[in-house]
Amino acid sequence: MKKTIAACIAATFAVNYSTTAFAEEAFMASLVEQSVLLDIDADSFVVIVGERGHILVSEDGNTFSQKNVPTHSTLTATTVVGNHVWAVGHDAVILHSADKGETWEIQNYQPELQRPFLDVLFFDEQHGIATGAYGLFYRTQDGGKSWNAERHASLLDPMDQEYLEDIRKEDETFYQQELESILPHLNRVTLDGNTLYMAGEAGLLAKSTNMGESWERYYVDYTGSFFDIKPLDENTVLAVGLRGNIFVNRNAGEWEYVQTCSNSTLNSILVGSGSTVYALGNNGMMITAQRPLPTSMRDPYANPSDCVADEGIVASQIKDKAALLNATQFNGETIAVTANGIKTLNLK
Amino acid sequence: MTHFLEKLVFGNRKIVVVLFAIATVFLGYQASHMRLDAGFEKNIPLNHEYMKTYIEHRQDFGGANNILVSVCDKNDNIYNQNFFDTLKNVHDQLFFINGVNRSLVISLFSPSTRFTEIVEGGFAGGPVIPADFNSSNPEALELVAANVEKANIVGRQVASDYSCAMVTAQLLDIDPQTGEPLDTLALAAELEEQLRGQYENENTSIHIIGFAKMIGDVADGAKDVLLFFAIAIAITAVMVYFFSRSVMLTLLPLVCSIIAVVWQLGLLTSIGFGMDPMSILVPFLVFAIGVSHGVQMINAVEKQAVTGIGAKRASMAAFRNLLVPGGIALLSDTVGFMTLLVIDIGIIRELAITASMGVAVIILTNLLLLPVLMSFLKLDQKYVEKFVGKENTNSRFWEVIAACSRKKPAAIILAVTAILFVFGHFQAQNMKIGDLHAGAPALHETSRYNQDTFLITDKYEVTVDYISILVETTPEACTSHSVMKAMDDFQWKMENVQGVQSAVSLASVAKIVNAGYNEGNVKWQVLPRNQQTLVQAISRVPTSSGLLNGDCSVMPIILFMEDHKAETISRVVDAVKTYRDEYQTDDMKFSLASGPVGVMAATNEAVSAAQDPMMLYVFGAVIALCLISFRSIRATLVVVIPLYVVSVLAQALMTYLQIGLTVSTLPVIALGVGIGVDYGIYILSTKSLMLKKGATVQEAYFAALKERGSAVLFTGITLAIGVSTWVFSSLKFQMDMGILLTFMFVVNMLGAIIVLPALARFLWWNKNDPGA
Repeated sequence: MKKTIAACIAATFAVNYSTTAFAEEAFMASLVEQSVLLDIDADSFVVIVGERGHILVSEDGNTFSQKNVPTHSTLTATTVVGNHVWAVGHDAVILHSADKGETWEIQNYQPELQRPFLDVLFFDEQHGIATGAYGLFYRTQDGGKSWNAERHASLLDPMDQEYLEDIRKEDETFYQQELESILPHLNRVTLDGNTLYMAGEAGLLAKSTNMGESWERYYVDYTGSFFDIKPLDENTVLAVGLRGNIFVNRNAGEWEYVQTCSNSTLNSILVGSGSTVYALGNNGMMITAQRPLPTSMRDPYANPSDCVADEGIVASQIKDKAALLNATQFNGETIAVTANGIKTLNLK
Repeated sequence: MTHFLEKLVFGNRKIVVVLFAIATVFLGYQASHMRLDAGFEKNIPLNHEYMKTYIEHRQDFGGANNILVSVCDKNDNIYNQNFFDTLKNVHDQLFFINGVNRSLVISLFSPSTRFTEIVEGGFAGGPVIPADFNSSNPEALELVAANVEKANIVGRQVASDYSCAMVTAQLLDIDPQTGEPLDTLALAAELEEQLRGQYENENTSIHIIGFAKMIGDVADGAKDVLLFFAIAIAITAVMVYFFSRSVMLTLLPLVCSIIAVVWQLGLLTSIGFGMDPMSILVPFLVFAIGVSHGVQMINAVEKQAVTGIGAKRASMAAFRNLLVPGGIALLSDTVGFMTLLVIDIGIIRELAITASMGVAVIILTNLLLLPVLMSFLKLDQKYVEKFVGKENTNSRFWEVIAACSRKKPAAIILAVTAILFVFGHFQAQNMKIGDLHAGAPALHETSRYNQDTFLITDKYEVTVDYISILVETTPEACTSHSVMKAMDDFQWKMENVQGVQSAVSLASVAKIVNAGYNEGNVKWQVLPRNQQTLVQAISRVPTSSGLLNGDCSVMPIILFMEDHKAETISRVVDAVKTYRDEYQTDDMKFSLASGPVGVMAATNEAVSAAQDPMMLYVFGAVIALCLISFRSIRATLVVVIPLYVVSVLAQALMTYLQIGLTVSTLPVIALGVGIGVDYGIYILSTKSLMLKKGATVQEAYFAALKERGSAVLFTGITLAIGVSTWVFSSLKFQMDMGILLTFMFVVNMLGAIIVLPALARFLWWNKNDPGA
């Protein structure tokens, strides 16, 4: 543990800004609501972000208006905290709005990094983190006025961590280079009380109890990528990922496999009413499950045509089969963002 | 001059007849080899800027001459053995049809139809239909169904509701077996027989669209045109009989007019032309113009014969009197039609040659042969008696009409004409260029072809209605992020233009591939800034996709359109021109255009650009010839003004009937002028002669009406009745033309006998008429 904290601190750098030289004019598109939209978040209003720097805001969840955003970079994630909104995306762009998404400023833009942010999370209006590709991890303590890069070797699997520690003893520079290239994509961070959960590339599932200063990686018997992780209650954490994989962790035990018989990648978890939970994925796939989730043995070599889904697991597809990225409940409706734009999901 | 000709011709009557007989037999023989001939390229303005781009890149990206065959299952589900067997047969059959570009036959069965899927280790993929596919095995069908989803071809190769699958092909311009231009009509017939004929049954339906099929269907419909010609000729014959009251005088002008048509067709064949289905109405026009002159001729002979001078002298007099006005009328038609040659679209040039040749031969057949033949008749006392009463009734009728040239009626007529003109002018401003409706405008909406078009548009996301914007840049440009980003941004702006249904380019595909390389995560659906990553994404897109050429220096952005209405096309083309300015650099040009709609855009622009010059040239020819023959500006004006008003009204009618100005309808206005000018010149030639002799305007007009008016009135009505039967045609094109021509025959006739004298009154005013 000490080691990882040390690694983390050592990996903290101040970030260069290159925001001033850059401002693109938004193209107000009539098809914006049918464009590739990648994330949605809501508080007293709804914010949707997507390709080409599209940001859509709605007060009522029905009518959305496109906002003038000073970037064309594809935005992958957004978060709403009070009246503040942050959106992050490709070219390591971080955007901020202090007025419910009406006007936007660029807080960070580093196309030369060639890395996208994939998620953003704020603990309050001042403190937040943005995570992304190849271990990209930025933190702000001042509402995004300044962002600092961190590298968390603790997110690596134990073998890699061991290897890195070995080379570190010999050459600190080489260690930094290796760390830079070996870190996985950090696809999703979720906050539950004081616990932070992380889902990422190559079987990465981790949690942190100190706002992401240090991480404790879970062991999962799966090497594919995870795209979302969410606690369902005090004892249950759910993770979804590549090719229809769902794993559930109960009472801090082993991660267990849930058979869906679907091989569409699952992007997000949506907790429904009662005991229902949904996983939304590519090809318009929507997996409906009932808690407590039944589990079974995972057999990667089974013939897919013989597959039998676990009890209560139902796979359905939305009509246009567009990839479902995320969804949120707002004003009694479930609004989803898809590769074909905004969709209202009919959940029973 | 006229006297010399008269002596020469009538002195050697028998020789003349024999010469004509020989020529007719020879040209008739030639005409019997007449073939229908349609080609894609001759409908295209090959020298238009867009078409230069199209031709330059045709090798790499294929032409715009596509065939789409949708094979549909009657039970609305393609996943059954019978369907896949049929689809395979259709694919193979299409592959072997001569003239199909075999490397570009695409369906589920083509090896280039592949799927990829993301697995933990990267990509997995293969052909959608595996090599060991056995259609009788339900599991094999299930596998194909799964692959179809992974290949992301629903809406393109498979109908959105899974009831149909598509086989597409591109056609060659040159027949690979003969080296000659491709025989489109033969190909269309093969498509019908070998695809629909063989494979359409109670379980499967076959829907074929594309230019070749459309023109094939038009050619099939054009075969009824013969029937309508026959009806028109029969009606004309009956009418002429009532007019002439003599079987011989009925037969002769008709025969001479038919001889003119035979000569025209024979000459066309002799110079190696075929008849385009869209020009099939020209022979009828030649016939109509022939009848118009023929009736003038028999009318003139009759007028002479009633004085009892005998057929030969009557014919000679008629020949003498009509050679000049008739000759001028026909010559101005000929020259007028020839001016269409300046329009750089093959089919219009063909029409210019066809029509002008046809009109020119009428000078020989109806102004020369006809009086010669009539001179052999015996117009005896019995014949003369038939006309005694008629002349008197006619006189009374013409006196009423002649009142049109009194000052007050003339003023009213001119006022009404002016109002009509203004109204027509404004209406004509709204005339649309190009096709106004979805589907093929030459065919009825209920036709099989248009029904097939609607079905395919309905069931698939893509149609034949697409336009490609070619991004011309430097070699290896596709590895440059800035080039690809410019393409992508431009494409997005174009997708937002109303009328664009969807779009695809190397840039948009590269983004999807890039997401694929990142575990299919949509958040990575971007153009990578890293060059190696970009190259990796692009390397999965083969040149056979049609999205890039060999060294990716040219990349099309393909816009699929909701329809090919002229408005939609011009909206999209304008948007291209606006948006491309933001992205073009010295090294990167966004050039219009390829694809079927690109061709239409060029054609529409060429037609639109040709419209005014064409009118100018046609009227210029008429004005020049009138000036030369009448040596009077006033006379020229009274002929030309009604003609112009009628042509404007005809355009207004086209607007009202929603007939767009296309390569096939563009020449109609010019042809209409050709019909109208005859009437005016005949009436005016007598009238100006009388005026010179010292008659008042009204007297001169009365004399002109008595002498020529009945023939004009008669011809106008007869031909109008003949063409009005075309509204029953199975070709929408012929129906439209029938309406337009009926209008032109009638209104031009009215223009000549009502508006012309009213105008004359104002231009000559009190000439020879101090008391008026």
